[in-house]
Amino acid sequence: MRLALAIGTFFILVIHGIVFYNQFGHPWERNQNTYFDQAKVLAKTDTEKAALAARRPRIEQIVVSNFGETRVDRCTTCHIAADDPRFSSHAEPVKTHPYSATLGDYQKDGKWERRHKFAEFGCTVCHDGQGRGLDAEYSHGRDEYWPDPLLGFTTQENWRKDFAPKLKGKEYMEANCAQCHTDTAFAGTALVTRGRALFFATNCYGCHRIEGLSDGTIGPDLSDVGRKWKLDYLWGRIADPKSILATSIMPKFNLKDEDIKALVVFLKSRKGRNFAETEIQRFKVKLTGGAELVQATIKPVQINPKEMVKQGEKLVLDRACTACHKLGERDGGIAPDLSQEGLIKDSEWIYDHFKNPKSTMPDSIMPAFRFTDDEFKAMTAYLVTLKGVTAPPAGEAIYKNYCLRCHGEKGDGHGPIAEHLDPYPRDLTKAGFMNSKPEARLVNSVRNGVAGTSMPAWGKLLNEEQAKAVLSYVQSSFTKEPRREVKPHAIPEKNPVATSKESANRGEALFVNRCAGCHGKKGDGKGPNSLDILPKPRNLRNSFFVNSVDDKRLFDSIEYGVQGTAMPSWIDYGLTHNDVGDLVNFIRSINQKPKGGQHAAAIQ
Amino acid sequence: MSPVTPPKPSPFAALLELPGNVWKSIFRNPLPSNDLERSATSFTNFFLHIHPVKVHKNSLRPAYTFGLGLISFFLFVILIVTGILLMFYYVPSTTQAYDQMLDLRGTVAFGTLLRNMHRWSAHAMVAVVFLHLCRVFLTGSYKKPREFNWVVGVILFLLTLFMSFTGYLLPWDQLAFWAITVGTAIAGYAPIVGKDMQFLLMGGTSVGQEALLRFYVLHVAVLPSVLVLAIAIHFWRIRKDGGLSRSEDADPVISLEAIPTVKASVLEPKKTYGLQGLVRGPLTKVGQIPDNTVFSWPNLFLAELFTFVVTLSAILIVSLLFNAPLEEPVNALHPPNPAKAPWYFLGLQEMVSYSAFWGGIGVPTIFVLLLLGTPYLDRGPKGVGKWFSRDRLLANTIFITFVVANIIFVIIGTFFRGANWSFVTPW
Repeated sequence: MRLALAIGTFFILVIHGIVFYNQFGHPWERNQNTYFDQAKVLAKTDTEKAALAARRPRIEQIVVSNFGETRVDRCTTCHIAADDPRFSSHAEPVKTHPYSATLGDYQKDGKWERRHKFAEFGCTVCHDGQGRGLDAEYSHGRDEYWPDPLLGFTTQENWRKDFAPKLKGKEYMEANCAQCHTDTAFAGTALVTRGRALFFATNCYGCHRIEGLSDGTIGPDLSDVGRKWKLDYLWGRIADPKSILATSIMPKFNLKDEDIKALVVFLKSRKGRNFAETEIQRFKVKLTGGAELVQATIKPVQINPKEMVKQGEKLVLDRACTACHKLGERDGGIAPDLSQEGLIKDSEWIYDHFKNPKSTMPDSIMPAFRFTDDEFKAMTAYLVTLKGVTAPPAGEAIYKNYCLRCHGEKGDGHGPIAEHLDPYPRDLTKAGFMNSKPEARLVNSVRNGVAGTSMPAWGKLLNEEQAKAVLSYVQSSFTKEPRREVKPHAIPEKNPVATSKESANRGEALFVNRCAGCHGKKGDGKGPNSLDILPKPRNLRNSFFVNSVDDKRLFDSIEYGVQGTAMPSWIDYGLTHNDVGDLVNFIRSINQKPKGGQHAAAIQ
Repeated sequence: MSPVTPPKPSPFAALLELPGNVWKSIFRNPLPSNDLERSATSFTNFFLHIHPVKVHKNSLRPAYTFGLGLISFFLFVILIVTGILLMFYYVPSTTQAYDQMLDLRGTVAFGTLLRNMHRWSAHAMVAVVFLHLCRVFLTGSYKKPREFNWVVGVILFLLTLFMSFTGYLLPWDQLAFWAITVGTAIAGYAPIVGKDMQFLLMGGTSVGQEALLRFYVLHVAVLPSVLVLAIAIHFWRIRKDGGLSRSEDADPVISLEAIPTVKASVLEPKKTYGLQGLVRGPLTKVGQIPDNTVFSWPNLFLAELFTFVVTLSAILIVSLLFNAPLEEPVNALHPPNPAKAPWYFLGLQEMVSYSAFWGGIGVPTIFVLLLLGTPYLDRGPKGVGKWFSRDRLLANTIFITFVVANIIFVIIGTFFRGANWSFVTPW
């Protein structure tokens, strides 16, 4: 016992010795002493030598508060000769920071002067890294958790080995230059400019939002992606999206390394607010949406009217439409099938949809791509030539071919792409709904589509018999309950209340009272109760839909409810024909948009 | 002692004797050479008088206690010392805490070592306190008359967990932020009071400045005070309950003459008691009754010193070899996948992944209530002082089942859970 005690105590002593040695044998002290010794050799006057001899190692630091949050940069503790021009040919870390005309350094009386003075800028503003650290491991950010390792100099242990070497090079620091030098023509940030051009040229802007540049909604917002992620993640997400997140829906673009590098530098420069920006400037950019920038950076393809279809085909493939849509074998798994686009849509609709997807389908998530009108015309011309294959006769085959993608394998409206559609596809298993509608209406929905929704008109593909065949397949496989006799409802033939402002006003009061809970105060179907309801309440501002149904159907839906949905029968809640008439007038009054495509003239 | 003739006071002699006099004024006894002095050493020293003068041989058997209680206490002492030193640098502010961590790691003298020691001691304390609890259970030491001390012990265990949990947030890095987010969410699953408790703990609906300040105050002021008080009670009760538990056959059988029972009557004169008479216990030892005790000096004190040296050495070595983790600064918008609670709550988190209520609240509450109630439910007097006693087969089996299940859940949660809490293999 006593021996063990003695050994243990000795051990503690040894450990304390090691700790003290580590504590007082700092590498930075050695570096500073090296500097003092060498500077003494270089010193010309005795006073200089005496001053150097009197200096003792100490922690040097620069506190910078001009650039966002206060930074404490202790880099010059080791890099003590950074501003001493006599050490330009020494070895790191006791070496002069190079002078460079590109950085704006200039010569005055034969001496270099820095454009970016260290006392003013510190080090990490340009270089990143951890300013507070005092050893190379931590201050250079080699530690796997440090979010900002030295840009272009330090790679971390856990970075992917195959492209970690590509992430070195001082050009990566342009991302930090761009924090102040925001001018797109600035020569020092050529890679950022190139990356920005690529951001548009490779259609990144279609899915991703960057404040002031683009408004994509499908992918994540990249406005401050440079603050969140390190170089290796950015590179990985661009080079091979699925390798980092298996569920990523981002397509693999197969870019060249130089292009990926430019994009990485550009993205790394997106850190939310720039140092150079004021709030007012930022707000202005927000207002314009950066439209001029886009116009200046996208290179349009010259369209030859004779080869429109061919060029359109190439554009559709090049511009990665199949990243979302299905076309033949390619399938992005997000948006509807384009294989028979020519039969279910006309050129006017496609062109309008291109120019502004929401103009034909108010809740579409498709980005408004900023291609030229000619390019859109060529792509439209190609799409209308797509006829798909002849529809099979059997109901089951038809369903699997055309309906399954949205309505799902079980017919419950949860098809592979359903979650990206708004309104959701109809749940065909809800017997209450399916059986309360006359067959003629269901056939009509199949053959003529439902305006303002993703349900296209299948009329050119499916004839009356085929439509009935697929409906009977749905009936027997999904709805299951046999059809009942639908009792005719006592509804007025036409709206008993004449259209007038007063009527619409009365309707609005009623609407706010009775309907807004689900349909929302704006009538957009997003009322507070809508969250718990499936199918979702109808968006009554969807003009295409509202204008496609007649007053009789509106009366029927309001007065007798919609079976299989949350819409109750309002007759039971005391609404009279006249009240409903006011409501219908109100709903019509909020959908007074000109029908037909707003770009219809351009296509002719 | 007979008075010694005082020497002639001379200022020079007084100066010469100053060190010796100062020493003697503090340490009244010379190094003991006989039993009387051994006793005196124990009860005249403030720090030693917590100990009994004589201690049972069974209490000194390393294989009986493994020194787990002492190790817990010494870890707590290390934690207090390093914790106070760390407090000189730490600022409980969301804007400064992380920077202070960086300074501690890179710039402050001994900062890394202090932080490492504090971190690893905290983890070790959770583990050792739990092992101590297992030791006490498996040797049946909670039985009469130690029921209440067992309850105090269980409370100490819970306090240790909470102490460690509150300290977890303070570095204000991603690890801290998300572990506490997950941990407090587990607390939020409690019925009725869950959400309020979570709100009270965090001072808001999410972990932020308020939560940091609350956790800091709990960690450095409230919980340590409570813990010190509870430890004092725990120690005091060990003495009052007659030292550490031991089996019946650990003492030589003594036949005492039956003391005639005096029939008390209100008319009889009141009986007077000496101080000894008020101290309850098996028996008060007087004279040369044979027993198995030895003097605390040096047997117990050396053993304690040895335990301390080993504990400190181990913590120092671990602290030199492994750095306490410090992850990215907090980013409330970017949770790591998976976000994991501190390791000792990973068993809970693993169970929560099956059922939020049962895993997070139901099972742990039942476990804690069972622990607290054990000495009152298990009244059989047999099986005290023996590891895995046959007489306590049922109780031990139930306990070991709970413990092993929890350890398995902790291991699964720590090593076998990857992104989206899906099962992964660690190799």
